[in-house]
This record gives sequence, structure tokens and C-alpha cells, in this order.
Amino acid sequence: MKKVLMPLAMVATLALVAYVGVEFLKLQFIFGVVIPYTAAVLFVAGFLFRIADWLIRPVPFRIPTTAGQEKSLDWIRRNPIESPHRAWEAAARVLSEVLLFRSLFRNIRAELRKDASLAYASNKWLWLGGLAFHWSLLVIVLRHARFFFAMVPGFADFLDHADSFFDVTLPAFYISDAIALGAITFLVARRFFDAKVRMISLPTDYFPLFLIGGIVLIGVLMRYVVRLNVMPVKDLMLQLMNFGFDPPGEIGTLFYVHLFLISVLLAYFPLSKLMHMGGIFLSPTRNLCNNSREKRHVNPWNSDIKFRTYSEYEDDFREKMKKAGLPVEKQ
Amino acid sequence: MRINKTILTIGLPALLMFALLAFFRQSGNAVEAPKAPPAPVAVDSTKCIAQTEYMRANHMKVLYEWRNSSVREGNRVFIAQNGSRFQKSLKTCLGCHATNRLFCFNCHMYANVRPKCWNCHLSPMETP
Repeated sequence: MKKVLMPLAMVATLALVAYVGVEFLKLQFIFGVVIPYTAAVLFVAGFLFRIADWLIRPVPFRIPTTAGQEKSLDWIRRNPIESPHRAWEAAARVLSEVLLFRSLFRNIRAELRKDASLAYASNKWLWLGGLAFHWSLLVIVLRHARFFFAMVPGFADFLDHADSFFDVTLPAFYISDAIALGAITFLVARRFFDAKVRMISLPTDYFPLFLIGGIVLIGVLMRYVVRLNVMPVKDLMLQLMNFGFDPPGEIGTLFYVHLFLISVLLAYFPLSKLMHMGGIFLSPTRNLCNNSREKRHVNPWNSDIKFRTYSEYEDDFREKMKKAGLPVEKQ
Repeated sequence: MRINKTILTIGLPALLMFALLAFFRQSGNAVEAPKAPPAPVAVDSTKCIAQTEYMRANHMKVLYEWRNSSVREGNRVFIAQNGSRFQKSLKTCLGCHATNRLFCFNCHMYANVRPKCWNCHLSPMETP
């Protein structure tokens, strides 16, 4: 219980900090300019540090996975995506993981039946929930490009139109908002109701979920309920993009709460499990070819061994060997 | 256990759909028999219905309220803070603001906010 309530209380406190700071202490400049810049610097520097740190770790050996047949004899049918032996096949494996969550698709749920027998069954809910969550978040983030650029890029415009396709409510309802909220609810509920997952869930699992949930919820509130004035918001965002330091205009407090929670998310990102965003590309079971049979991989930091071959031995002892009547290869 | 799960998997989405439906329908269903609407007022565009600062930040809320109350409840008269009465109509606004054809579009293009006003109404850009 504590490991759920603690992160929930933390997110609530963070939201309250921003609310009190802006509503009562009038710290618009701190929450609108200073903290976002700091968070962005921490995010970029931390992210790069983490990735560089992982990149310089040597990975000398291939980790064979048993998901597909490795390239072997010609008449054995192989599986190019699951067990790649060329770079582009490995790239396809990484991309299928990143874009479609291939390995979650194989998720299997083990269940102890009433008669004490263990049953396994395919369980695609996590895959579907995760896919819905990540894709809707991506769409939401890309859609926000309309606040960051004076000339809105074409893809953001397209996403905006596609996302508000139903054209109901005013302003037009975004499908991705509903999907994101639904998926977050499912992912949290899954950690509550499945005893095994509840057991292994930590505060660091709940915190990002609550944080992102809070951000989305406040975004939804700003758009559909409070109907915030976006002109000063766009001014502020364009200013931040141009590294300006002017104080922000008259914006509703809810926006600062939204921005502060995002800043916290950015700063927290490199310190947390959220780094799987970059790490997935570096995962050795996905991005290395399974070609251990085809190619010999030598550990590059093995110390050099001085071998003494038989011909060198014979060169040293040839005369003595001849005297002793031993056969020699070279006369 | 098995049946419960089936109920859950069907029931939860259904519940969600109903909640969404309620959200979309908003409060449009609980309307009593329409009262006799107040006497209409002539379109008066000589003065603005509120302070400029207020209108800049909140015109969307005003228009949203106008749309709902005038179209759905038939209440077409808006009483301003100072007691003067206005016809709840885009004509009230555009009677004055349409003199600048880019009055809406300057900001709306900048903020990239595109409400669907001009799907039905004639925009100042389209009038000669």
C-alpha cells in the first residue's frame, strides 16, 4: 500500500508546489522559464551521458536467443527477423521491438489452477495496453509541436486533423487523449489486481505512471474544461525555443502545474526506468546478429598469449633431436 | 472466476462507452419545455459586450455559451455586465470586427487554433 501511496502523494505534492508557487507566491518566472530550462538541460545532458555510458561498454559476444532458427546449413529454414545474420535483419528486429513491441506479443501468463495444476496461456493485454499507451503519448507529444514552432510543421498539422477526426465537442475532442487516459488506467490497474505484478511493482513503477497520468489529466482539463487562453502559452513556448528570458504573460495557473510536472518528468527521465526509451536501441539481444556459428567472435580485451609452435621448438632443438635419433620435419 | 472476467471485459468498455456518450451529449437532454424567449433585441454593434482584455482571453467561452444557450435553449438575448442587452449572434461581433478581415485569423493562425466556426458561418475573409 505504501509503495502506491508514496508516489501518488509525491505527484500530488509536486502539483501543489507549482500551484502554490504560481497562484500565491507569483513565481511565474521561476516556473515558466527557469525550471523548464533547467529540466531541459538535465534531460539532454543526462540522456546523452546515459547513452554514451552504455555505448562505451564493450559487448564482445552475441547472445543467441531461441526465438528463431539461426542461419545454419542451407536446407534448414531460418528465421531472418528473430535470428538475424545481417545488419539490416538485426535493424528490423530492433524496429519491430521499438514500434510494435514484438517481445511483449509473446507474453505468456502462468496461472495456478484450483486443482493445483499450472496453466500457461497467451496474454496479449499488456502488449495492447502498452502499445496504446506509447503510441498515444507519441502522438500527443508530436501534436504539441504546434506550440513550439511559429510555422507548424506539416506532420503536426496532419496529426492534429487525424486526431480530432470525430469533430465532436468544442474544442474538437482528441482521440489520443482518451486512449492515453484509458491505457494509463489499465496499466495502473494491472499492477493493482494481478497479485504477481503487484508483488514486483515498486514505487519507481508507480511514480512515472502517476506523473504522466497527472500531466495528461491536467492537459485534458486545460483544453476541454477550463479552456485556457493559448496565446500567451504560444508566446512563452516560442520564447523558450529561442532561448529568451522574458517573463511569461498572463497564463492560467493550471498551465504552470502542467509545465512543472513535465519539467519534473524530464529531469527524472535519465535517472529512471524511463531510459528504456534510449536503452531499447542498445539492447544486445535485439541489435546484434545471431551469427556465432558463422563467425568467430574473439573477446578483444583478452591478453595476448605467446604461443610456441612446434616448428619453433624444432628449430631450437633440431641438432639435439638428430643426435638422439628422433625424427625431425625439417632437415 | 471465468464468468466474472467475461463480464469485466465486456462490461468495462461498455461502461466507458456510456460515460463517453454522456460526456458528448453534455447537458442537452435535460431541457424542459422551452419558456417564452425574451423579446429579441436588435443587433447592436456600436460597443463591445465586455472589456477588451476579458474578451481576448475568454471570447471562446462566451461564444461557446452563446451557441449552447441560443441554439439549444432558444435564449438569444445576452445581458452584459453593465445591463445593456445584445443579440447572441456572430453578427453582433462581426458587425464591428469584420472591418478588419484578419481580425480572427491573425491570432488564430499564430496559435494554430482552428474552431469550426466557418464550416457554417460566413467568415470575414469570404464576405466582399
